[in-house]
Amino acid sequence: MSVRTTHLDQGVVGAMSTLSAAAKRGLGDPVLAELVMVRASQLNACAFCLDMHVDAALEQGESPKRIALLDAWAEAGDLFTERERAALALTESVTVLTGDFVPDAVYAQAAGHFDEAGLAHLLALVAVINSWNRLMVSRRIAPGGPAW
Amino acid sequence: MTTKDTDTAAPGSAREYEREHTPRLAWATHAPEVFKAMIKLDAAARKGLDPVIYELVKIRASQINHCALCLDMHTKDALAAGESVERIIQLSAWEESRHFYTAKEIAAIELTEAITVLTEGFVPDEVYERAAAHFEEAELTQLIAAITVINAWNRFGVSTRQVPGHYKAGDHK
Repeated sequence: MSVRTTHLDQGVVGAMSTLSAAAKRGLGDPVLAELVMVRASQLNACAFCLDMHVDAALEQGESPKRIALLDAWAEAGDLFTERERAALALTESVTVLTGDFVPDAVYAQAAGHFDEAGLAHLLALVAVINSWNRLMVSRRIAPGGPAW
Repeated sequence: MTTKDTDTAAPGSAREYEREHTPRLAWATHAPEVFKAMIKLDAAARKGLDPVIYELVKIRASQINHCALCLDMHTKDALAAGESVERIIQLSAWEESRHFYTAKEIAAIELTEAITVLTEGFVPDEVYERAAAHFEEAELTQLIAAITVINAWNRFGVSTRQVPGHYKAGDHK
């Protein structure tokens, strides 16, 4: 499978970077941010994003085992905290939006673990990684890039 | 409906609508830097893209993702920009109403669907190639960016249950 195009408007790239930074900063939990970005990228089959965020997760001190079991977090017992599980469930629901359109139970569970600002930035981060996933998958960007 | 609870247009049969819901979260208030960045991203993604196609893309993605606020906004903006009611109504059935649209518009709508429901097919070659045949590279990647950005807005709108009905054409232009 070859790259379709590496073209991407520099204004879009710059705005995406600003948006990403704002979401991550607001969430204030770099490890959780990487878990969320890896999980969304798994669902969206974004190889470029997985490559980047698996490395970033490892750099943040995340364990290879938790990264490997992220795909099966719901069955992974207490390997993930309740807060992480709530965030991952929300990530999946917002990512595969047409699956269930974010039901009350999923939202309420996340709202039980995050205050309003935390929740707003968690949702922002999921929206952002979904945006990167779309920009990369649609152009078939290879792991490691170049992406533009 | 938001400004009235009953429809008095039908004589002698005033109908009572459901109550308007309240949003789950005022996300833009709680993440103002994110909201500002989204506005900038939106402006960057629409540059160089045909404005008629831009609104069709926004509407189609919002239909698929059930974003009521986004539909409220983009159908009103499209109508104000001169789009026809017929083309907006037929958009969710475009495969059966192809003669309402240009080949270029259909290629854009197909690409919109593939990128929106990403996990079903991950943007197949034939869909991408049809779009690439109608859009030169710079406009094609702006189209991809525009589809990406409305998907982000849709995710904010749906996950926080934003309320439709209050938008006036041009409010966010």
